[in-house]
Amino acid sequence: MRIEDVVCSFCGCLCDDLVVEVEGTRVINVENGCTLANEKFMGDHRLEAPIRRSGGKWEKVSYEEAIAETAGILLDADRPLLYGWSGTYGEAQTIGVHLAEVLGAVIDNTSTVCHGPSIMAIQEVGHPGCTLGQVKNRADVVVYWGANPVDAHPRHMSRYTTYCDGFFVKNAFRERKVVVVDVRETESSQVADEFVKVNPGGDYAVLSALRAIVRGKRDIIPPDVEGVSREQLFRVADMCIAAKFGAFFFGVGLTMAPGKNKNIRNAIELTEELNRHTKFTISPMRGHWNVYGSNEVFTWITGYPFAVDFARGIAFYNPGETTSVDILRRGECDACLVVASDPGAHFPRACAEHLARIPTVQIDPHVNVTTHLSRIQIPVAVAGIDAEGTAYRMDGVPIRTRKLFQGRYPDDLEVLEKIYAIVKEAKG
Amino acid sequence: MKFLFNTGRTIRQGSYVERKNAPSYREEASAIRMNPVDMFEMMVEEGDRVRVKSSTGEVVMKARADPGLVRGRVFCSLGPYANHIVSPETHGTGMPDFKVTEVEIEPTQDPVSSVAMLMGQCGGVPYED
Repeated sequence: MRIEDVVCSFCGCLCDDLVVEVEGTRVINVENGCTLANEKFMGDHRLEAPIRRSGGKWEKVSYEEAIAETAGILLDADRPLLYGWSGTYGEAQTIGVHLAEVLGAVIDNTSTVCHGPSIMAIQEVGHPGCTLGQVKNRADVVVYWGANPVDAHPRHMSRYTTYCDGFFVKNAFRERKVVVVDVRETESSQVADEFVKVNPGGDYAVLSALRAIVRGKRDIIPPDVEGVSREQLFRVADMCIAAKFGAFFFGVGLTMAPGKNKNIRNAIELTEELNRHTKFTISPMRGHWNVYGSNEVFTWITGYPFAVDFARGIAFYNPGETTSVDILRRGECDACLVVASDPGAHFPRACAEHLARIPTVQIDPHVNVTTHLSRIQIPVAVAGIDAEGTAYRMDGVPIRTRKLFQGRYPDDLEVLEKIYAIVKEAKG
Repeated sequence: MKFLFNTGRTIRQGSYVERKNAPSYREEASAIRMNPVDMFEMMVEEGDRVRVKSSTGEVVMKARADPGLVRGRVFCSLGPYANHIVSPETHGTGMPDFKVTEVEIEPTQDPVSSVAMLMGQCGGVPYED
């Protein structure tokens, strides 16, 4: 069976033009997809059945047993942490937030280690963003800062910027200027019209210098700012000021580097300065599929986008205190439910050690690094392949994904609803 | 020799993300990219094993030449190998310093651990699928 307009469930681009061929319960061909999409749809490496760690060994258990034991672990805990959520759809994320509220738990999503600092900056100074469609049709200058789309968002350039003609940009490759700012050369920097190589940790100073230039203070700029020459800074600033419509896209190269949320604040304020001259927007390159959706869902229900602590009976948010890495490194939580993510791979070692010490349960279709640290893993259907639901693209556009075939796994929503029902009954 | 250790996404690491027990994922996640002149000075060839030490921990990786890197800086794809040496300190932001870890690198004959073994060292129980 050939299915058109399939939405990819890998990165935040949510490309919605894939053509997928399905035979029974397997995807046998993908058209229009990037390398990541092909692996996502064609891969067949799922965990067969729920597993439980018993002493030093692993054993298979039934879904009923695994779900009941998971609910028991969460009910026994004084300070449970519910982490992940970016690889699943909004309906399942909603149950996750309600579960956290009933348990008095902390619930956090993967933006805590990707664009959490961006959200903190947006809370301070706002977000002059736009949809990717606006960029595609209007932008004549695009700046990728601390981002490497060729590796992390492989079709971003061909669907929205460098290689994509738009309504007002008829010949994008010639008419659209692309600037890449990074600490190292990448394949993305090689296709840029201008590559600005910044010293590690120097982004804040370079952003400040550009703000000063845009403000008309060229005379105060020193000959070199964190490895970038004054001449190149003038050139980039002039290119931005002369743009009819400019777009900044920033990656974790800014949010993870020294300065973190303050880097993003400075970038947003540079965008504000540029808007005194022309139209400029700024947007984060959200990485893990529906991570934007997890921020949306958390915010609708609790008022906060990530790191929400229900221990007080009300929602409380304080990055640095209620964020997962901090809770784990302090050894604070006494149980962890991981859904649709892999903290074992993406958190520092001290966090992995604590996940191994406490009862950690993982709901995920695949064996990953967290599997080795868990007590129980419950395999589920893959969102966008054999499970359907709503996900958010990196620019905040919600897109409905479809089920391509009826598989044999329950989906995240079904498993989480069963856990929630047991917990709710116990809590009264 | 001392280096500044950076982490980030690579397309290969992304491709193998749902097969993290596989040798292909280990190859990519444990590769440390270095300037070829630094490798020459350390008498390290492409594919040789090196011990990478930070104030937080140490891990064995495989050297890979990358002329796009400035001397004194190294890059590794994000994942369990890189995170073995990244500090969990977040400076009140929730975000560790994934981009700037000071490390010392030396050649070694020790083997590169599998992902399962690495998690075994963290107190986990390896699951072989």
